[in-house]
Amino acid sequence: MINEIAVISGKGGTGKTTLALSIIPYFEDIVIADCDVDAPDMKILLSERVLREDTFIGFKRPEIDYTLCTHCGLCYEKCNFNAISENIEIKKGSCEGCGVCSYVCPAGAITNKDYPIGKIYKKQTAFGPMIDARLTPGEESSGKLVSEVRKRSKEVALEENAKTIIIDGSPGVACNVISTISGVSKALIVTEPTLSGIHDLKRVLELSRMFSVDAKVVINKYDLNLAMVKEIETYCDMTNTDIVLKMPFDKKIVESISNLIIPSTSNISFFTSKEWLSFIEYLQKEK
Amino acid sequence: MKIAILSGKGGTGKTTLSVNLFSCLKQGTLIDTDTEEPNSHIFIKPTNEVITNIYKNHPVVNKDLCSFCGKCGEYCNFNAIIPTKTKVLVFEDFCHDCGLCEMVCPNNAITYKTKVIGEVFSSHLENKSFHYGKLKIGEVSGVRVINKLNEISKEDGLVLVDCPPGVSCSTVEALRGSDYAIVCAEPTPFGVSDMTMVVELLREENIEFGVVVNKSGIGNNQIYEYLEEENIELLENIPWTKERAALYSTGNLIADKDPIFNEKMEHILQKVLGDNYDQ
Repeated sequence: MINEIAVISGKGGTGKTTLALSIIPYFEDIVIADCDVDAPDMKILLSERVLREDTFIGFKRPEIDYTLCTHCGLCYEKCNFNAISENIEIKKGSCEGCGVCSYVCPAGAITNKDYPIGKIYKKQTAFGPMIDARLTPGEESSGKLVSEVRKRSKEVALEENAKTIIIDGSPGVACNVISTISGVSKALIVTEPTLSGIHDLKRVLELSRMFSVDAKVVINKYDLNLAMVKEIETYCDMTNTDIVLKMPFDKKIVESISNLIIPSTSNISFFTSKEWLSFIEYLQKEK
Repeated sequence: MKIAILSGKGGTGKTTLSVNLFSCLKQGTLIDTDTEEPNSHIFIKPTNEVITNIYKNHPVVNKDLCSFCGKCGEYCNFNAIIPTKTKVLVFEDFCHDCGLCEMVCPNNAITYKTKVIGEVFSSHLENKSFHYGKLKIGEVSGVRVINKLNEISKEDGLVLVDCPPGVSCSTVEALRGSDYAIVCAEPTPFGVSDMTMVVELLREENIEFGVVVNKSGIGNNQIYEYLEEENIELLENIPWTKERAALYSTGNLIADKDPIFNEKMEHILQKVLGDNYDQ
């Protein structure tokens, strides 16, 4: 069975990508999956060669033939997404591709056509193959693109006999995150010792439970507010959630990323600490 | 005037900027449209909130009327309704509530059931209003909640919008009708990369914008080079300090306790609002 490890957070900017990148060098036979399709950043640090690039069709989008349209307004009236304007134009980012407009059009002026919402890539990195994607800014159906990244990363893992897939997720709790965590072996939730961090951690933990995902907590920048760390610990205790790592705030980590070097491979003392190494050991254990 | 505060990357300081700019206004409205992880209320600390439920429908099939013709399943583009020979399965979470299955059913066997998918919390204080939305855990999209936030604030004179991260449908909905956008970015390679996607979105939507570089002093200069190359206005530079991070961590408004920061907020408002900014 493939060990799929997803790094998520609820709140943005807590250090998901930093953590995901930092664990990669400790694994052999891995596939990397960047599921943060509207802010894909793993590629920035992983030297890459594009092996394959595909356009991703998210849904069928209506196209209006204005030579047939009588401007009767029925499509505008029946659309539940307010995706057609009064002057009968399809609004980008609102249409969900349900097909109601083409069904109700009495003039047969609307047809549904395959609609690309982004690109999906297979890339070669120094650590193994990576699947990532880029949503065209403003497009719908990003959850489907995330699912496609998951699907392809599993296919590559099977082809290449890889044992582990490291997944970088997106912030939030809706479709993109649901698609990122469904069916994974482990989810690492990266939080920070702030009121916002705790608030968002609670919500994403609730989501993980709902989808029966084994979720563990990583507190990043823990030394910025020790009182808040206590609060996180109390909450995790109460809910039987393990805290598997506490990372300090270190400007050298940001510097390392600015120099496009994976933090755990540069000279930062935390990454030689016992705590970090036993955390890696824990991740390497197959479920 | 509607001003959106957005970022692409999470954790760059959208909420910090939104709540602190709001605190400098004498009148106006703030809506927090990050319905997946709303945080503005932690800083605004609203009281006497009025809660509005946000609903979504999903189909229910009346077995006595259904002839198992399969048309609903054939037309549904979301695999939310799957007819078999003896029953019709409905997957509520996949349903987008478009209404097509009801339209195509020849036996009028489909009706709709409503469920709550989120809430909007509204509060008012003197000349200011604050609304935030919260999506129920397990729901796939906050767009309807954001739509409600837009609707209740559309008559207000000045509206600040704390947007969700990313550039997908939630952000597009939050941006709807905005006259100007403040992009809050951090000077790291990730910050710059994610900002380029936001810039692409704003240009596509024809919304004028400027950039606030938050947490300056960490990272590198790449962001400034990018802004110059792209001819994008730098509205303000806010240095990272341990004190500011500490104030944020405990839910404090930084502008209340940090005069330099407060000046920067006022400076941004002057630049963006011009003569409309009433100090």
